[in-house]
Amino acid sequence: MDLEREVEDMWKFLFRRTLAMLFTVWVVSIISFAVIQLPPGDYVTTLMSQMVSQGGRELTPEYAEQLRELYGLNESMYVQYGKWITNIIFKGQFGYSFVYKRDAVELITERMPMTFALSMSSFVLVWVIALPIGIYSAVRKYSIGDYIFTFLGFIGLAVPSFLLALILLFVSQKYLGQAMIGLFSQEFADAAWSWDKFVDMLKHLWIPTILIGLGGTAGLIRTMRANLLDELNKPYVETARAKGLSETRLLLKYPVRHALNPFVSTIGWTLPNLVAGEVIVAIVLNLPTSGPVLYRALQSQDMFVAAGFILLLSILTVIGTFISDLLLAVLDPRIRLR
Amino acid sequence: MSDTLIEVNDLKIHFFTDEGVVRAVDGVDLTIERGKTLCLVGESGCGKSVACRAFLQIVHSIGKIVSGEIIYHRRVDNNFEETIDIAQLNPKGRQIREIRGKEISMIFQEPMTSLSPMYTVGNQIMENILLHTNLSKEEARQLCVQLLDQVGIPQPHRLVDEYPFRLSGGMRQRAMIAMALSCNPTLLIADEPTTALDVTTQANILDLMRNIQKEYQMALLFITHDLGVVAEIADTVAVMYLGKIVESGDVDTIFNNPKHPYTQALLRSIPKISRTREKLDTIQGMVPNPYRRPGGCPFHPRCTQAMPECSTMVPSVTRFSDGHTTRCLLYENITTKQFAELS
Ligand SMILES: Nc1ncnc2c1ncn2[C@@H]1O[C@H](COP(=O)(O)OP(=O)(O)OP(=O)(O)O)[C@@H](O)[C@H]1O
Ligand code: SF4
Ligand SMILES: [Mg+2]
Repeated sequence: MDLEREVEDMWKFLFRRTLAMLFTVWVVSIISFAVIQLPPGDYVTTLMSQMVSQGGRELTPEYAEQLRELYGLNESMYVQYGKWITNIIFKGQFGYSFVYKRDAVELITERMPMTFALSMSSFVLVWVIALPIGIYSAVRKYSIGDYIFTFLGFIGLAVPSFLLALILLFVSQKYLGQAMIGLFSQEFADAAWSWDKFVDMLKHLWIPTILIGLGGTAGLIRTMRANLLDELNKPYVETARAKGLSETRLLLKYPVRHALNPFVSTIGWTLPNLVAGEVIVAIVLNLPTSGPVLYRALQSQDMFVAAGFILLLSILTVIGTFISDLLLAVLDPRIRLR
Repeated sequence: MSDTLIEVNDLKIHFFTDEGVVRAVDGVDLTIERGKTLCLVGESGCGKSVACRAFLQIVHSIGKIVSGEIIYHRRVDNNFEETIDIAQLNPKGRQIREIRGKEISMIFQEPMTSLSPMYTVGNQIMENILLHTNLSKEEARQLCVQLLDQVGIPQPHRLVDEYPFRLSGGMRQRAMIAMALSCNPTLLIADEPTTALDVTTQANILDLMRNIQKEYQMALLFITHDLGVVAEIADTVAVMYLGKIVESGDVDTIFNNPKHPYTQALLRSIPKISRTREKLDTIQGMVPNPYRRPGGCPFHPRCTQAMPECSTMVPSVTRFSDGHTTRCLLYENITTKQFAELS
């Protein structure tokens, strides 16, 4: 087998995967748009009932009709979708937020980077914790350490992250005299980006990072442990041992490398989990991420905002899966060289 | 300086499982001569693989060497020999790791899974060379290509960069042999190297092993349950039954003058081409449950010549002439009374 052919195979693989990814994104965009149209009524209906419940004046049907006309809510779903998606692709316009009375794209560019930063740092944290502990637990199966990690892992799995967040709020308020909320200190919250602001963000970031990451860590530790246990007694490990390799070198080069495969393919499903976990933690800790905005948008049928966020979050997930597929191909010649 | 390479004395390896203790190897004595081939034969589950893994201290971690010794006569140079008891070495220690793959190497039964699919054949063979010699990467690669050529792999320059999962079982086993040979071992252990292969490939691999053994002048411990193979390649034979060597001797003696009823039954079970019409004589009964091994002579529930005392008395080793030994009560009183007459 020559290098040229291997490189060519790799390009073919990339091409196939990219096509598949684009198709998935297209389907996802349709679904995102359809889902937020599912509940009965639209933004104007919500607005009307809000005004009634707040004891205000009722909207006249004519005015309601005017509003619908203004936002294009009367047109068929296909037309609405078509307008929406062409605006996104060709103009980078995500529509208008009825609730915030602002351009949806402003909200998105304000919030998405924070969500991205938080998800990434949680993801890195999960891996940094789960990988070595998983290896340790498999190699020292049924040792005291294994039991302790299993126990801690189950606690992490069982305690919901919002509860941890609430406890943390309480403790920080009571003992530090300041609730650990938000991602920035007061003086930086509305300031423009600067190095100091960045450092300030890092100082705040670790708390939600841990809260969001904790739940996923237990699952990944179990995955790594189980994968590695499967590999430890395979014949190729015995071959390597019979060569005289030291246990550590042997472990890392053979069984861990093999066990990494199914571990890498979990990237696809850890990302959406992290994003979902982020919504709850962000609401409790009042973080400037997309979670709280998305939540509110869904509640009040602020459709352009909701659809925009859902679309972007889904694309992130699809990209995550794409990256995990790529990594798998790099790691495993059996996938690369079909 | 002796011609003996390895002497195994009363080796016992027990597995401590949740269901109980498996006495997989239960008092094995063996001698391996320099440059000679010893065949270890016996039914499935009698402890052949466990015993030979002990030579490299790579028995599965729940298995422990509980007693006995594996004396390795290591030739340091042409006029000095040191003896090492391998059974006493730490399985993770430096000393045994220097022996593994260099002085004693091993080929396994499963060519399909004994090489990792993640690395190229060359990578996995060169690893052994780089570990035990001072060769550079480039030199190791050259040696690797040369070895692959020697074990009959076509286009070794190309296949050195091929992944194992793109090779056939026979080719993989050849690659394993190349790996085992790479550091000029004094002993090669082959644990049923042909069992997983088709008949033609089996014959080819067997030829190859015979040739390389002559060429490298190394000792070969060949494990099999195929007596046809034994007849072809063995100098001496050891017959194993339930963790014990029940009979051993040179190959002609074992085939022409077997003493132990188990060996006799094994030999009767070989299909003879000249007498195909005759019903195949198989050994009656099953291999007993490993957790509840019979007392007395372990073979007594299946032995056609069993005597009343066989179920209680454990036979000890009876020695005939020329290193022919057996463990059977039939011969025990003979040794004491009529040994002189017989030999
Ligand atoms: N990891 C293990 N755990 C528990 N028992 C084991 C283990 N490995 C081997 N044994 C036991 O040791 C005994 C001998 O096994 P071994 O693999 O040496 O047999 P064998 O003679 O090589 O058979 P085969 O011809 O099938 O390879 C078996 O009865 C088996 O139950
Ligand atoms: S000791 Fe008895 S049972 Fe065992 S082989 Fe000899 S005759 Fe058979
Ligand atoms: Mg075996």
